[in-house]
Amino acid sequence: MRHPTEGVLRRLLDEPAGVSEPDRAHVAGCPVCLTGLAAARQDAAAVGTALQPADVGTVDLPAAWQRLSSALPAGGADRAPAPARARRARAVLRRPVVAAVAFAVVLAGAGTAAANDWLPVFRTEQLQPVSLDTADLVALPDLSAYGDVEVTGGEGPQQVPDAAAAAAQSGLDVPAVAALPRGVTGEPEYQVVGELGATFTFSADRAARAAAASGEPAPPVPAGLDGSQVRLVAGPGVAAIWGQSAGVPALVVGRAVAPTAYSSSGVPFETMRDYLLSLPGLPDDVAAQLRTFAADGSTLPLPVPSDQVTTRSAEVDGVPATVLETRDQALAAVLWVEDGVVTVVAGSLGPDEVLTVAEDLD
Amino acid sequence: MDLQHGRPAATVDLPLSAPVIGRASARAGRKDVAVSGRATRDAVRSDLAEVFRRDYQRVVGVAARVLGSRDEAEDVAQEVFLAFGRSAVPAGEAPGWLSVAAAHTALNLIRSGRRRASREETVAATAEVAAPDVAETVLTREDRSRVRAALAGLPRKQAVALVLRHSGLSYAEVAAALDMSPGSVGTTVRRAEAALRKELIRHASSD
Repeated sequence: MRHPTEGVLRRLLDEPAGVSEPDRAHVAGCPVCLTGLAAARQDAAAVGTALQPADVGTVDLPAAWQRLSSALPAGGADRAPAPARARRARAVLRRPVVAAVAFAVVLAGAGTAAANDWLPVFRTEQLQPVSLDTADLVALPDLSAYGDVEVTGGEGPQQVPDAAAAAAQSGLDVPAVAALPRGVTGEPEYQVVGELGATFTFSADRAARAAAASGEPAPPVPAGLDGSQVRLVAGPGVAAIWGQSAGVPALVVGRAVAPTAYSSSGVPFETMRDYLLSLPGLPDDVAAQLRTFAADGSTLPLPVPSDQVTTRSAEVDGVPATVLETRDQALAAVLWVEDGVVTVVAGSLGPDEVLTVAEDLD
Repeated sequence: MDLQHGRPAATVDLPLSAPVIGRASARAGRKDVAVSGRATRDAVRSDLAEVFRRDYQRVVGVAARVLGSRDEAEDVAQEVFLAFGRSAVPAGEAPGWLSVAAAHTALNLIRSGRRRASREETVAATAEVAAPDVAETVLTREDRSRVRAALAGLPRKQAVALVLRHSGLSYAEVAAALDMSPGSVGTTVRRAEAALRKELIRHASSD
């Protein structure tokens, strides 16, 4: 067959699901196309980095609305832009742990779980980054559009006086940093977060309504899925935070009990996962990536805004780890999971510096 | 003036300081402008607050990709929402319209040379402090401003498609916003990236 066009190769980078199967198969076995694909990838990455704004962040929506309102004619729209409820939901769901929970709920499930019995079916052993755009990360709460999400716990973060108090309250070994990186000084502030639980009950009605709102019909619901429940528990967690300036901590070392999921439903894991993945609103490329995850749920996908963050794998004391770096090189982080506990080292540092801190933790 | 690239053309050459109303009304008679004659002085569409809440961050993000500075991007976003508030753009087309309008307005700002130089320098100085390797940051900053200048010089449709795609819009969304076929989005974005990369490499080898 003829080689696919450069445009097809370009789309393959972003939305593989949008490229036809014959084209994908051709590219996979064609040295000419693979070379073209590599060139397209390099160009896209270089341009993406160059276009990254220097000062990304969250806008001050109320202030921006006020500015716009004052420029509008009197008597124009003057409602507050974000009602308290919406604001709170956004605030909660922007917290990475909840974003991770929301995805873990999608991925967790059990083919073998007995009815009416919560069985542990999911234990995080690895972290696997998933590319998500920022907008998708914020849109994750829409999982609550597909059923009931009941959140329990999640108190905090609460400040405690010292490492001993943090250890006592969280029940975790608080990691101690052997040598602080250059530019980080002083004593850290310790914070503790309580255990967070979320029960997700799938509702076929709600899913159908949410799908209708997005303008696309929901696919038929598999038998037995309506009313199925997944329960996920994460935490408690503890963090040591050094030198916050301009809202960005110089260094954060955190540790938390990794999420574990339980299911009470007889619906096979693949059924629930694939159905949720098939619902309108989830971009095709993310869905395609999620499908590659092992069905035993041994991998915790980590939602990462791909337009702002690059990821690569590394090792910390022989344990596989994931290194994240913002495209403006302002922040870096390394995360790994060992014995059901996730540890993160992050800060306004380079990737090598966070790795050095990680390897020297006691 | 370039008015051939989709519905939000009404905002294409709104100067940041000039009254929006006069310009929007002047453009309203053109057939390629979706903000029809309803753009009257006092009519502010009732869904403005809702759309603003939902899309403001994204509109700022689009403009920031073109300009590199969030302060300037917020200025652009304000202009775009002012124009939108007076428009009759169907609610369903709002996200695409707003993104295209933000890209056009920001690109015009670069081309017009009316940028606020002092603010640019402030931003650059901040970036230098944040990054550990100062030499690399300086190079990157120069690269970035070169790429942005080259971006503003690209055919407008290529530039807008590129910016929208890098702002997180899907191929289908870019296609709908720019009245293109989804199949041609990849080609358009690829051409733009190849041109900008060439610009980067040309300067890297001559340094």
